[in-house]
Amino acid sequence: MIKGTCWVADDYVMAYNIIVQEYWTSPIDKLENSKWVMAGVHEDFNKENGFKDCGYTFIVAGHNFAGGGKSIEHVIAGLMGAGIQAVFATSFARLQFRNAINYGLPFITSPDIDKKCKTGDTLEYDPESGIIKNLSQDLSFESIPTPPFVSEVAQAGGLMNYVKEKIAKGEAIG
Amino acid sequence: MGMTITEKIMASQSGRDKVRPGELVWVDVESVMTMDYLGKTCFDKFRSLGKTDVFDKNKVICVSDHLVPPPNQKFATMLNEWREVVKAHDITYFYDLGRQGIAHQIMVEQGHVLPGKVSIGTDSHANTYGAVGAVGNAVGVTDAAVAMATGKAWFRVPSSVKFHITGEWQPYIMAKDLSLHIMGMMHWNGHLIYKTLEFCGPAIDALSVAGRMTLCNMTVDLGAKNGIVAPDVKTQEYLKDIAKGDWDMLASDDDAEYEAVYEIDVSQLGPTVALPDKLDDTLPVEKVTGRKFNKAFVGTCTNGRLEDLAIMADILQDRQIHRDVNMIVVPASQGVYLEALRAGYLETLILAGAAIDTPSCAACAGIHTGVAGDGDIVLSAGNRNMKGRMGSKNAEIYLTSPAVVAASAIYGEITDPRTL
Repeated sequence: MIKGTCWVADDYVMAYNIIVQEYWTSPIDKLENSKWVMAGVHEDFNKENGFKDCGYTFIVAGHNFAGGGKSIEHVIAGLMGAGIQAVFATSFARLQFRNAINYGLPFITSPDIDKKCKTGDTLEYDPESGIIKNLSQDLSFESIPTPPFVSEVAQAGGLMNYVKEKIAKGEAIG
Repeated sequence: MGMTITEKIMASQSGRDKVRPGELVWVDVESVMTMDYLGKTCFDKFRSLGKTDVFDKNKVICVSDHLVPPPNQKFATMLNEWREVVKAHDITYFYDLGRQGIAHQIMVEQGHVLPGKVSIGTDSHANTYGAVGAVGNAVGVTDAAVAMATGKAWFRVPSSVKFHITGEWQPYIMAKDLSLHIMGMMHWNGHLIYKTLEFCGPAIDALSVAGRMTLCNMTVDLGAKNGIVAPDVKTQEYLKDIAKGDWDMLASDDDAEYEAVYEIDVSQLGPTVALPDKLDDTLPVEKVTGRKFNKAFVGTCTNGRLEDLAIMADILQDRQIHRDVNMIVVPASQGVYLEALRAGYLETLILAGAAIDTPSCAACAGIHTGVAGDGDIVLSAGNRNMKGRMGSKNAEIYLTSPAVVAASAIYGEITDPRTL
Protein backbone atom coordinates (compact mmCIF):
# COMPACT_ATOMS: atom_id res chain seq x y z
CA MET A 1 0.00 0.00 0.00
CA ILE A 2 1.39 3.39 -1.00
CA LYS A 3 0.01 6.57 0.55
CA GLY A 4 0.77 10.22 -0.06
CA THR A 5 -0.30 13.45 -1.70
CA CYS A 6 -0.81 13.98 -5.40
CA TRP A 7 -0.13 16.65 -7.98
CA VAL A 8 -2.87 16.90 -10.61
CA ALA A 9 -1.98 18.03 -14.10
CA ASP A 10 -4.20 20.73 -15.58
CA ASP A 11 -3.01 20.14 -19.14
CA TYR A 12 -1.05 17.64 -21.26
CA VAL A 13 2.22 16.79 -19.56
CA MET A 14 4.90 16.35 -22.19
CA ALA A 15 8.16 14.44 -21.72
CA TYR A 16 10.22 17.37 -22.99
CA ASN A 17 8.68 19.56 -20.31
CA ILE A 18 9.29 17.00 -17.56
CA ILE A 19 12.97 17.13 -18.51
CA VAL A 20 13.76 20.29 -20.45
CA GLN A 21 16.19 20.33 -23.39
CA GLU A 22 19.09 21.63 -21.35
CA TYR A 23 19.27 18.35 -19.41
CA TRP A 24 18.74 15.84 -22.25
CA THR A 25 22.48 15.35 -22.54
CA SER A 26 22.99 14.96 -18.75
CA PRO A 27 23.76 11.58 -17.20
CA ILE A 28 20.74 9.49 -16.19
CA ASP A 29 20.71 9.75 -12.41
CA LYS A 30 17.73 9.82 -10.08
CA LEU A 31 19.16 12.46 -7.75
CA GLU A 32 20.56 14.71 -10.49
CA ASN A 33 17.53 14.41 -12.80
CA SER A 34 15.15 15.08 -9.89
CA LYS A 35 16.60 18.56 -9.27
CA TRP A 36 15.02 20.05 -12.39
CA VAL A 37 12.31 17.49 -13.10
CA MET A 38 9.00 19.05 -14.24
CA ALA A 39 10.77 22.41 -14.76
CA GLY A 40 8.98 22.97 -18.05
CA VAL A 41 5.57 21.81 -16.89
CA HIS A 42 4.77 24.65 -14.51
CA GLU A 43 6.47 27.91 -13.60
CA ASP A 44 6.39 26.94 -9.88
CA PHE A 45 8.60 23.94 -10.62
CA ASN A 46 11.12 25.92 -12.64
CA LYS A 47 13.70 26.20 -9.86
CA GLU A 48 16.14 23.78 -8.31
CA ASN A 49 14.20 21.03 -6.52
CA GLY A 50 11.05 22.99 -7.34
CA PHE A 51 8.92 19.89 -7.88
CA LYS A 52 10.77 17.62 -5.49
CA ASP A 53 10.35 19.98 -2.53
CA CYS A 54 6.56 19.78 -2.89
CA GLY A 55 6.87 16.20 -1.61
CA TYR A 56 4.24 14.62 -3.83
CA THR A 57 4.00 10.83 -3.95
CA PHE A 58 1.67 10.60 -6.95
CA ILE A 59 0.97 12.38 -10.21
CA VAL A 60 -2.54 12.34 -11.63
CA ALA A 61 -2.90 13.23 -15.30
CA GLY A 62 -5.14 13.01 -18.36
CA HIS A 63 -4.30 11.66 -21.79
CA ASN A 64 -0.91 10.86 -23.22
CA PHE A 65 1.14 11.48 -20.07
CA ALA A 66 4.81 12.11 -20.97
CA GLY A 67 3.98 12.32 -24.66
CA GLY A 68 5.38 14.34 -27.53
CA GLY A 69 8.24 11.93 -28.26
CA LYS A 70 11.53 11.55 -26.38
CA SER A 71 12.66 8.11 -25.32
CA ILE A 72 15.09 9.51 -22.71
CA GLU A 73 15.00 7.76 -19.35
CA HIS A 74 15.87 10.96 -17.48
CA VAL A 75 12.11 11.51 -17.37
CA ILE A 76 11.45 8.42 -15.25
CA ALA A 77 14.66 8.71 -13.23
CA GLY A 78 13.81 12.33 -12.42
CA LEU A 79 10.26 11.53 -11.28
CA MET A 80 11.47 8.65 -9.11
CA GLY A 81 14.23 10.79 -7.66
CA ALA A 82 11.64 13.40 -6.73
CA GLY A 83 9.72 10.82 -4.70
CA ILE A 84 7.00 9.87 -7.17
CA GLN A 85 5.88 6.30 -6.52
CA ALA A 86 3.09 5.98 -9.09
CA VAL A 87 1.49 7.97 -11.90
CA PHE A 88 -2.24 7.61 -12.62
CA ALA A 89 -3.47 8.79 -16.00
CA THR A 90 -6.15 8.26 -18.60
CA SER A 91 -3.41 7.14 -21.03
CA PHE A 92 0.37 7.18 -21.31
CA ALA A 93 2.71 7.89 -24.20
CA ARG A 94 4.30 4.60 -25.14
CA LEU A 95 7.99 5.55 -25.00
CA GLN A 96 7.82 6.59 -21.37
CA PHE A 97 5.24 3.90 -20.52
CA ARG A 98 7.90 1.41 -21.56
CA ASN A 99 10.65 3.19 -19.64
CA ALA A 100 8.45 3.29 -16.53
CA ILE A 101 7.92 -0.47 -16.72
CA ASN A 102 11.67 -0.96 -17.14
CA TYR A 103 12.35 1.14 -14.03
CA GLY A 104 9.56 -0.42 -11.98
CA LEU A 105 7.66 2.86 -11.59
CA PRO A 106 3.93 2.08 -11.77
CA PHE A 107 2.25 3.96 -14.65
CA ILE A 108 -1.35 3.08 -13.93
CA THR A 109 -4.16 3.62 -16.39
CA SER A 110 -7.38 4.77 -14.75
CA PRO A 111 -10.13 6.45 -16.78
CA ASP A 112 -11.37 9.85 -15.56
CA ILE A 113 -9.27 9.92 -12.39
CA ASP A 114 -7.82 13.29 -13.38
CA LYS A 115 -11.19 15.01 -13.34
CA LYS A 116 -11.96 13.98 -9.77
CA CYS A 117 -8.74 14.68 -7.88
CA LYS A 118 -7.25 17.99 -6.73
CA THR A 119 -3.61 18.80 -6.16
CA GLY A 120 -2.76 18.09 -2.53
CA ASP A 121 -5.37 15.36 -2.05
CA THR A 122 -4.15 12.32 -0.15
CA LEU A 123 -4.34 9.12 -2.17
CA GLU A 124 -3.76 5.50 -1.30
CA TYR A 125 -2.82 2.95 -3.95
CA ASP A 126 -2.99 -0.79 -3.49
CA PRO A 127 -0.81 -2.44 -6.18
CA GLU A 128 -2.39 -5.83 -5.46
CA SER A 129 -5.98 -4.85 -6.18
CA GLY A 130 -5.27 -1.86 -8.41
CA ILE A 131 -7.64 0.24 -6.31
CA ILE A 132 -6.78 3.92 -5.92
CA LYS A 133 -8.53 5.68 -3.01
CA ASN A 134 -8.78 9.43 -2.68
CA LEU A 135 -8.88 9.74 1.12
CA SER A 136 -9.41 13.51 1.02
CA GLN A 137 -12.59 13.20 -1.00
CA ASP A 138 -13.68 9.69 -0.05
CA LEU A 139 -13.55 8.46 -3.64
CA SER A 140 -12.33 5.22 -5.10
CA PHE A 141 -11.05 4.40 -8.60
CA GLU A 142 -10.32 1.17 -10.40
CA SER A 143 -7.33 0.76 -12.64
CA ILE A 144 -6.34 -1.54 -15.48
CA PRO A 145 -4.56 -4.58 -13.97
CA THR A 146 -0.82 -4.85 -14.41
CA PRO A 147 0.36 -7.87 -16.48
CA PRO A 148 2.49 -10.45 -14.59
CA PHE A 149 5.67 -9.56 -16.50
CA VAL A 150 5.37 -5.93 -15.42
CA SER A 151 4.95 -6.97 -11.77
CA GLU A 152 7.93 -9.34 -12.02
CA VAL A 153 10.12 -6.56 -13.41
CA ALA A 154 8.94 -4.18 -10.68
CA GLN A 155 9.60 -6.77 -7.98
CA ALA A 156 13.13 -7.29 -9.33
CA GLY A 157 13.67 -3.53 -9.03
CA GLY A 158 13.58 -2.87 -12.77
CA LEU A 159 14.50 -4.58 -16.05
CA MET A 160 18.26 -4.21 -15.47
CA ASN A 161 18.08 -6.24 -12.27
CA TYR A 162 15.60 -8.67 -13.81
CA VAL A 163 17.95 -9.42 -16.73
CA LYS A 164 21.09 -9.31 -14.59
CA GLU A 165 19.69 -12.02 -12.34
CA LYS A 166 18.78 -14.17 -15.35
CA ILE A 167 22.23 -13.75 -16.86
CA ALA A 168 23.93 -14.54 -13.53
CA LYS A 169 21.87 -17.72 -13.18
CA GLY A 170 22.39 -18.65 -16.84
CA GLU A 171 18.64 -18.63 -17.44
CA ALA A 172 17.16 -17.97 -20.87
CA ILE A 173 15.22 -14.77 -21.47
CA GLY A 174 11.76 -14.95 -22.95
CA MET B 1 -8.06 -15.55 -38.35
CA GLY B 2 -4.90 -14.41 -40.13
CA MET B 3 -2.15 -12.14 -38.92
CA THR B 4 -0.97 -8.66 -39.84
CA ILE B 5 2.61 -8.19 -41.01
CA THR B 6 3.61 -6.83 -37.60
CA GLU B 7 2.06 -9.83 -35.83
CA LYS B 8 3.88 -12.16 -38.24
CA ILE B 9 7.20 -10.48 -37.54
CA MET B 10 6.66 -10.61 -33.78
CA ALA B 11 5.67 -14.29 -34.07
CA SER B 12 8.59 -15.37 -36.26
CA GLN B 13 11.14 -13.39 -34.23
CA SER B 14 9.90 -14.85 -30.96
CA GLY B 15 9.87 -18.41 -32.29
CA ARG B 16 6.09 -18.78 -32.32
CA ASP B 17 3.61 -19.78 -34.98
CA LYS B 18 1.11 -17.17 -33.95
CA VAL B 19 0.76 -14.15 -31.69
CA ARG B 20 -2.28 -12.06 -30.79
CA PRO B 21 -2.43 -8.37 -29.87
CA GLY B 22 -1.83 -7.86 -26.16
CA GLU B 23 0.52 -10.84 -25.78
CA LEU B 24 3.93 -10.18 -24.33
CA VAL B 25 6.86 -11.63 -26.27
CA TRP B 26 10.64 -11.44 -26.24
CA VAL B 27 11.83 -11.06 -29.84
CA ASP B 28 15.23 -11.43 -31.47
CA VAL B 29 16.51 -8.10 -32.72
CA GLU B 30 18.21 -7.74 -36.11
CA SER B 31 20.01 -4.59 -34.98
CA VAL B 32 20.30 -2.24 -32.02
CA MET B 33 21.16 1.37 -32.75
CA THR B 34 22.52 3.88 -30.30
CA MET B 35 24.06 7.26 -30.85
CA ASP B 36 26.48 9.81 -29.47
CA TYR B 37 24.70 11.43 -26.57
CA LEU B 38 23.13 8.30 -25.09
CA GLY B 39 25.54 5.65 -26.35
CA LYS B 40 28.06 5.73 -23.53
CA THR B 41 25.27 5.23 -20.99
CA CYS B 42 24.03 2.29 -23.07
CA PHE B 43 27.40 0.59 -22.99
CA ASP B 44 27.86 1.33 -19.28
CA LYS B 45 24.46 -0.20 -18.53
CA PHE B 46 25.23 -3.16 -20.79
CA ARG B 47 28.40 -3.96 -18.84
CA SER B 48 26.57 -3.60 -15.54
CA LEU B 49 24.49 -6.62 -16.62
CA GLY B 50 27.60 -8.74 -16.15
CA LYS B 51 28.59 -8.97 -19.81
CA THR B 52 31.72 -7.82 -21.59
CA ASP B 53 30.98 -8.76 -25.23
CA VAL B 54 27.88 -7.57 -27.06
CA PHE B 55 25.62 -10.31 -28.45
CA ASP B 56 26.84 -9.64 -32.00
CA LYS B 57 29.30 -6.87 -32.80
CA ASN B 58 27.86 -6.62 -36.34
CA LYS B 59 24.41 -5.89 -35.00
CA VAL B 60 25.11 -3.12 -32.51
CA ILE B 61 25.18 -0.04 -34.70
CA CYS B 62 26.78 3.16 -33.42
CA VAL B 63 26.18 6.55 -34.99
CA SER B 64 27.33 10.07 -34.22
CA ASP B 65 24.49 12.39 -35.17
CA HIS B 66 23.18 14.68 -32.43
CA LEU B 67 26.48 16.27 -31.37
CA VAL B 68 28.62 16.33 -34.54
CA PRO B 69 30.64 18.30 -35.34
CA PRO B 70 30.88 19.42 -31.72
CA PRO B 71 29.83 23.06 -31.32
CA ASN B 72 31.23 23.36 -27.79
CA GLN B 73 33.66 21.70 -25.38
CA LYS B 74 30.98 19.79 -23.53
CA PHE B 75 29.88 18.00 -26.71
CA ALA B 76 33.49 17.49 -27.85
CA THR B 77 34.29 15.75 -24.57
CA MET B 78 31.12 13.65 -24.74
CA LEU B 79 32.08 12.57 -28.27
CA ASN B 80 35.56 11.59 -27.12
CA GLU B 81 34.11 9.39 -24.37
CA TRP B 82 31.68 7.92 -26.87
CA ARG B 83 34.43 7.05 -29.37
CA GLU B 84 36.45 5.42 -26.65
CA VAL B 85 33.62 3.19 -25.51
CA VAL B 86 32.69 2.15 -29.08
CA LYS B 87 36.32 1.23 -29.80
CA ALA B 88 36.63 -0.66 -26.52
CA HIS B 89 33.72 -2.91 -27.56
CA ASP B 90 35.13 -3.52 -31.03
CA ILE B 91 31.90 -2.51 -32.75
CA THR B 92 32.03 -3.23 -36.50
CA TYR B 93 29.72 -0.49 -37.74
CA PHE B 94 30.59 2.90 -36.27
CA TYR B 95 29.36 5.83 -38.35
CA ASP B 96 31.40 8.64 -36.85
CA LEU B 97 32.01 12.18 -38.14
CA GLY B 98 33.15 11.85 -41.75
CA ARG B 99 30.97 8.79 -42.36
CA GLN B 100 28.04 10.01 -40.31
CA GLY B 101 24.40 10.67 -40.88
CA ILE B 102 21.25 10.84 -38.86
CA ALA B 103 21.03 7.43 -37.22
CA HIS B 104 17.70 6.44 -38.78
CA GLN B 105 18.90 7.33 -42.26
CA ILE B 106 22.12 5.36 -41.68
CA MET B 107 20.23 2.33 -40.37
CA VAL B 108 18.14 2.10 -43.54
CA GLU B 109 20.61 3.25 -46.21
CA GLN B 110 23.37 0.98 -44.85
CA GLY B 111 21.11 -2.07 -44.80
CA HIS B 112 21.00 -2.68 -41.05
CA VAL B 113 17.20 -2.80 -41.09
CA LEU B 114 15.59 -5.68 -42.97
CA PRO B 115 12.11 -6.80 -43.96
CA GLY B 116 10.54 -9.26 -41.55
CA LYS B 117 12.96 -8.40 -38.73
CA VAL B 118 12.90 -6.20 -35.62
CA SER B 119 15.30 -3.32 -35.08
CA ILE B 120 15.40 -0.95 -32.13
CA GLY B 121 17.10 2.36 -31.51
CA THR B 122 17.54 4.77 -28.63
CA ASP B 123 15.88 7.64 -30.44
CA SER B 124 12.19 8.17 -30.85
CA HIS B 125 12.15 8.25 -34.66
CA ALA B 126 13.33 4.62 -34.96
CA ASN B 127 9.81 4.04 -36.30
CA THR B 128 11.36 5.04 -39.65
CA TYR B 129 12.55 1.44 -40.14
CA GLY B 130 9.04 0.29 -41.00
CA ALA B 131 9.62 1.77 -44.47
CA VAL B 132 11.39 -1.42 -45.55
CA GLY B 133 8.94 -3.80 -43.90
CA ALA B 134 10.73 -4.12 -40.56
CA VAL B 135 9.31 -3.52 -37.11
CA GLY B 136 11.23 -0.41 -36.03
CA ASN B 137 10.86 0.71 -32.50
CA ALA B 138 12.20 3.43 -30.27
CA VAL B 139 13.42 2.40 -26.84
CA GLY B 140 15.31 3.83 -23.90
CA VAL B 141 18.90 2.98 -23.04
CA THR B 142 17.80 0.19 -20.67
CA ASP B 143 16.14 -1.78 -23.48
CA ALA B 144 19.12 -1.12 -25.74
CA ALA B 145 21.54 -2.32 -23.05
CA VAL B 146 19.49 -5.48 -22.53
CA ALA B 147 19.38 -6.11 -26.29
CA MET B 148 23.15 -5.55 -26.58
CA ALA B 149 23.62 -8.24 -23.95
CA THR B 150 20.98 -10.74 -25.03
CA GLY B 151 19.98 -9.93 -28.62
CA LYS B 152 16.41 -9.65 -27.39
CA ALA B 153 13.77 -7.07 -26.52
CA TRP B 154 10.35 -7.44 -24.92
CA PHE B 155 7.22 -6.27 -26.69
CA ARG B 156 3.54 -6.26 -26.12
CA VAL B 157 2.10 -7.25 -29.51
CA PRO B 158 0.24 -4.15 -30.73
CA SER B 159 -3.13 -4.14 -32.43
CA SER B 160 -3.05 -2.81 -35.97
CA VAL B 161 -4.76 0.09 -37.71
CA LYS B 162 -4.77 0.12 -41.49
CA PHE B 163 -4.38 3.22 -43.64
CA HIS B 164 -5.39 2.30 -47.17
CA ILE B 165 -4.09 5.04 -49.42
CA THR B 166 -5.39 5.38 -52.96
CA GLY B 167 -5.28 7.90 -55.81
CA GLU B 168 -2.52 9.61 -57.78
CA TRP B 169 0.13 11.79 -56.22
CA GLN B 170 -0.23 15.29 -57.65
CA PRO B 171 2.73 17.56 -58.53
CA TYR B 172 4.61 18.91 -55.47
CA ILE B 173 2.62 16.71 -53.07
CA MET B 174 4.87 14.63 -50.86
CA ALA B 175 4.72 11.87 -48.26
CA LYS B 176 5.12 14.63 -45.65
CA ASP B 177 1.80 16.15 -46.69
CA LEU B 178 0.15 12.78 -46.10
CA SER B 179 1.87 12.48 -42.71
CA LEU B 180 0.68 15.89 -41.62
CA HIS B 181 -2.79 15.25 -43.02
CA ILE B 182 -3.06 12.06 -40.95
CA MET B 183 -1.76 13.97 -37.93
CA GLY B 184 -4.55 16.51 -38.31
CA MET B 185 -7.12 13.79 -38.91
CA MET B 186 -6.16 11.50 -36.01
CA HIS B 187 -4.62 13.89 -33.48
CA TRP B 188 -1.49 13.06 -31.63
CA ASN B 189 -3.12 12.44 -28.26
CA GLY B 190 -5.74 10.17 -29.63
CA HIS B 191 -6.48 6.56 -30.11
CA LEU B 192 -3.34 5.57 -32.02
CA ILE B 193 -1.27 5.20 -28.85
CA TYR B 194 0.45 1.76 -28.73
CA LYS B 195 -0.92 0.78 -32.18
CA THR B 196 0.77 -0.41 -35.34
CA LEU B 197 -0.05 1.81 -38.30
CA GLU B 198 0.06 -0.21 -41.50
CA PHE B 199 0.19 1.77 -44.73
CA CYS B 200 -0.93 0.10 -47.95
CA GLY B 201 -2.71 0.71 -51.23
CA PRO B 202 -1.76 1.96 -54.69
CA ALA B 203 -0.49 5.34 -53.49
CA ILE B 204 1.87 3.61 -51.05
CA ASP B 205 3.06 1.26 -53.80
CA ALA B 206 3.83 4.39 -55.80
CA LEU B 207 5.92 5.94 -53.02
CA SER B 208 9.71 5.66 -53.04
CA VAL B 209 11.49 4.07 -50.08
CA ALA B 210 12.43 7.63 -49.05
CA GLY B 211 8.76 8.67 -49.01
CA ARG B 212 7.85 5.57 -47.02
CA MET B 213 10.56 6.53 -44.52
CA THR B 214 8.97 9.96 -44.04
CA LEU B 215 5.59 8.38 -43.48
CA CYS B 216 6.78 5.74 -41.00
CA ASN B 217 9.08 8.25 -39.27
CA MET B 218 6.24 10.42 -38.03
CA THR B 219 4.10 7.56 -36.72
CA VAL B 220 5.90 8.03 -33.40
CA ASP B 221 4.50 11.54 -33.32
CA LEU B 222 1.02 10.06 -33.68
CA GLY B 223 1.72 8.07 -30.53
CA ALA B 224 1.93 4.79 -32.43
CA LYS B 225 4.21 1.93 -31.55
CA ASN B 226 5.38 1.47 -35.13
CA GLY B 227 4.51 2.24 -38.72
CA ILE B 228 5.05 -0.28 -41.47
CA VAL B 229 4.86 -0.72 -45.23
CA ALA B 230 4.98 -4.31 -46.49
CA PRO B 231 8.11 -4.95 -48.58
CA ASP B 232 7.72 -5.02 -52.37
CA VAL B 233 9.86 -4.95 -55.50
CA LYS B 234 11.05 -1.42 -54.66
CA THR B 235 12.19 -2.58 -51.24
CA GLN B 236 14.08 -5.50 -52.75
CA GLU B 237 15.69 -3.25 -55.34
CA TYR B 238 16.68 -0.77 -52.62
CA LEU B 239 18.19 -3.43 -50.38
CA LYS B 240 19.83 -5.82 -52.82
CA ASP B 241 23.32 -4.30 -52.68
CA ILE B 242 23.30 -2.98 -49.14
CA ALA B 243 21.50 -5.53 -46.92
CA LYS B 244 23.66 -6.78 -44.07
CA GLY B 245 21.65 -9.99 -43.73
CA ASP B 246 18.78 -12.10 -45.02
CA TRP B 247 15.23 -10.93 -45.03
CA ASP B 248 11.66 -12.23 -45.18
CA MET B 249 9.11 -10.83 -47.61
CA LEU B 250 6.12 -10.94 -45.29
CA ALA B 251 2.68 -9.46 -45.93
CA SER B 252 -0.53 -9.22 -43.93
CA ASP B 253 -3.06 -11.99 -44.46
CA ASP B 254 -6.29 -11.07 -46.23
CA ASP B 255 -8.23 -12.05 -43.13
CA ALA B 256 -5.92 -10.26 -40.66
CA GLU B 257 -7.72 -8.29 -38.00
CA TYR B 258 -7.54 -4.49 -37.83
CA GLU B 259 -8.87 -2.32 -35.07
CA ALA B 260 -9.79 0.30 -37.65
CA VAL B 261 -9.33 0.95 -41.36
CA TYR B 262 -9.02 4.44 -42.82
CA GLU B 263 -9.18 5.32 -46.50
CA ILE B 264 -7.40 8.35 -47.89
CA ASP B 265 -7.31 9.47 -51.53
CA VAL B 266 -4.09 11.37 -52.22
CA SER B 267 -5.50 12.82 -55.44
CA GLN B 268 -7.40 15.18 -53.13
CA LEU B 269 -4.40 15.98 -50.96
CA GLY B 270 -2.76 19.40 -51.15
CA PRO B 271 0.38 20.79 -49.51
CA THR B 272 -0.19 20.72 -45.77
CA VAL B 273 1.16 22.84 -42.92
CA ALA B 274 1.20 22.28 -39.14
CA LEU B 275 0.80 25.53 -37.21
CA PRO B 276 3.24 26.45 -34.43
CA ASP B 277 3.19 24.51 -31.12
CA LYS B 278 0.82 21.70 -32.05
CA LEU B 279 1.66 19.01 -34.53
CA ASP B 280 -1.96 18.09 -35.11
CA ASP B 281 -3.08 21.63 -35.79
CA THR B 282 -2.76 21.23 -39.55
CA LEU B 283 -4.22 23.17 -42.44
CA PRO B 284 -4.07 23.07 -46.24
CA VAL B 285 -1.38 25.51 -47.40
CA GLU B 286 -3.90 27.89 -49.00
CA LYS B 287 -5.27 28.74 -45.53
CA VAL B 288 -1.89 30.07 -44.38
CA THR B 289 -0.36 31.55 -47.51
CA GLY B 290 1.16 34.95 -46.97
CA ARG B 291 2.35 34.33 -43.41
CA LYS B 292 5.87 35.67 -43.07
CA PHE B 293 8.85 33.79 -41.66
CA ASN B 294 12.57 34.46 -41.38
CA LYS B 295 14.17 31.03 -41.07
CA ALA B 296 13.83 28.00 -43.32
CA PHE B 297 15.10 24.56 -42.36
CA VAL B 298 15.18 21.36 -44.38
CA GLY B 299 16.94 18.28 -43.07
CA THR B 300 16.24 15.72 -40.27
CA CYS B 301 15.35 12.05 -40.33
CA THR B 302 11.96 13.11 -41.71
CA ASN B 303 12.94 15.10 -44.78
CA GLY B 304 16.69 15.26 -45.40
CA ARG B 305 16.84 12.72 -48.21
CA LEU B 306 17.82 12.99 -51.88
CA GLU B 307 14.28 13.34 -53.24
CA ASP B 308 13.65 16.15 -50.74
CA LEU B 309 16.70 18.05 -51.95
CA ALA B 310 15.78 17.25 -55.58
CA ILE B 311 12.36 18.87 -55.34
CA MET B 312 13.88 21.90 -53.62
CA ALA B 313 16.48 22.25 -56.38
CA ASP B 314 13.73 21.94 -58.97
CA ILE B 315 11.79 24.77 -57.34
CA LEU B 316 14.80 27.00 -56.61
CA GLN B 317 16.49 26.53 -60.01
CA ASP B 318 17.33 30.03 -61.32
CA ARG B 319 15.46 31.62 -58.43
CA GLN B 320 16.61 33.46 -55.33
CA ILE B 321 15.75 32.94 -51.69
CA HIS B 322 14.27 36.12 -50.21
CA ARG B 323 16.83 38.33 -48.49
CA ASP B 324 14.90 38.23 -45.20
CA VAL B 325 15.07 34.42 -45.05
CA ASN B 326 18.00 32.38 -43.75
CA MET B 327 17.77 28.88 -45.16
CA ILE B 328 19.74 25.96 -43.78
CA VAL B 329 19.72 22.65 -45.65
CA VAL B 330 21.17 19.57 -43.95
CA PRO B 331 21.46 16.33 -45.94
CA ALA B 332 20.48 13.36 -43.77
CA SER B 333 23.79 11.55 -44.26
CA GLN B 334 27.16 11.83 -45.95
CA GLY B 335 25.76 9.46 -48.59
CA VAL B 336 22.85 11.77 -49.32
CA TYR B 337 25.23 14.77 -49.27
CA LEU B 338 27.48 13.18 -51.89
CA GLU B 339 24.61 12.14 -54.14
CA ALA B 340 23.05 15.60 -53.92
CA LEU B 341 26.42 17.14 -54.72
CA ARG B 342 26.92 14.91 -57.75
CA ALA B 343 23.39 15.54 -58.98
CA GLY B 344 23.99 19.30 -58.83
CA TYR B 345 21.20 19.91 -56.31
CA LEU B 346 23.50 21.48 -53.76
CA GLU B 347 24.96 23.80 -56.36
CA THR B 348 21.46 24.97 -57.27
CA LEU B 349 20.55 25.50 -53.62
CA ILE B 350 23.76 27.41 -52.89
CA LEU B 351 23.25 29.62 -55.93
CA ALA B 352 19.75 30.35 -54.66
CA GLY B 353 21.19 31.49 -51.34
CA ALA B 354 20.87 28.45 -49.06
CA ALA B 355 23.50 27.41 -46.50
CA ILE B 356 24.39 23.71 -46.59
CA ASP B 357 25.33 22.21 -43.24
CA THR B 358 27.19 19.01 -42.32
CA PRO B 359 24.89 15.99 -41.96
CA SER B 360 23.58 15.79 -38.38
CA CYS B 361 20.31 16.23 -36.50
CA ALA B 362 21.22 19.93 -36.66
CA ALA B 363 18.66 22.30 -35.14
CA CYS B 364 15.83 19.77 -35.08
CA ALA B 365 16.30 18.96 -31.41
CA GLY B 366 17.34 22.50 -30.55
CA ILE B 367 20.74 21.46 -29.24
CA HIS B 368 22.93 21.86 -32.31
CA THR B 369 23.57 24.12 -35.29
CA GLY B 370 21.00 26.57 -36.54
CA VAL B 371 18.90 26.83 -33.38
CA ALA B 372 16.03 29.30 -33.19
CA GLY B 373 16.28 32.49 -31.13
CA ASP B 374 13.67 34.82 -29.65
CA GLY B 375 11.22 36.08 -32.23
CA ASP B 376 12.25 33.65 -34.96
CA ILE B 377 9.54 32.24 -37.16
CA VAL B 378 10.80 29.02 -38.68
CA LEU B 379 9.35 27.21 -41.66
CA SER B 380 10.69 23.69 -41.20
CA ALA B 381 10.48 20.35 -42.96
CA GLY B 382 11.28 18.61 -39.64
CA ASN B 383 9.01 16.60 -37.39
CA ARG B 384 8.23 18.55 -34.22
CA ASN B 385 7.10 22.08 -33.56
CA MET B 386 6.34 22.36 -29.87
CA LYS B 387 7.50 25.46 -28.03
CA GLY B 388 11.24 25.45 -27.57
CA ARG B 389 11.82 22.44 -29.80
CA MET B 390 14.39 24.20 -31.97
CA GLY B 391 15.78 26.46 -29.26
CA SER B 392 13.97 29.52 -27.93
CA LYS B 393 10.53 29.15 -26.40
CA ASN B 394 9.83 32.50 -28.00
CA ALA B 395 10.19 31.15 -31.52
CA GLU B 396 7.41 29.75 -33.70
CA ILE B 397 7.80 26.67 -35.87
CA TYR B 398 5.61 25.80 -38.84
CA LEU B 399 6.07 22.29 -40.22
CA THR B 400 5.58 21.39 -43.85
CA SER B 401 7.12 19.62 -46.84
CA PRO B 402 10.46 20.50 -48.48
CA ALA B 403 8.51 21.68 -51.55
CA VAL B 404 6.53 24.22 -49.52
CA VAL B 405 9.69 25.39 -47.71
CA ALA B 406 11.49 25.93 -51.01
CA ALA B 407 8.60 27.77 -52.70
CA SER B 408 7.95 29.90 -49.62
CA ALA B 409 11.61 30.85 -49.21
CA ILE B 410 11.48 32.70 -52.52
CA TYR B 411 8.91 35.14 -51.16
CA GLY B 412 9.62 35.08 -47.43
CA GLU B 413 6.02 34.10 -46.84
CA ILE B 414 4.20 30.78 -46.94
CA THR B 415 3.55 29.96 -50.57
CA ASP B 416 1.79 27.14 -52.37
CA PRO B 417 4.39 25.54 -54.68
CA ARG B 418 1.64 24.79 -57.22
CA THR B 419 1.17 28.51 -57.82
CA LEU B 420 4.76 29.36 -58.78
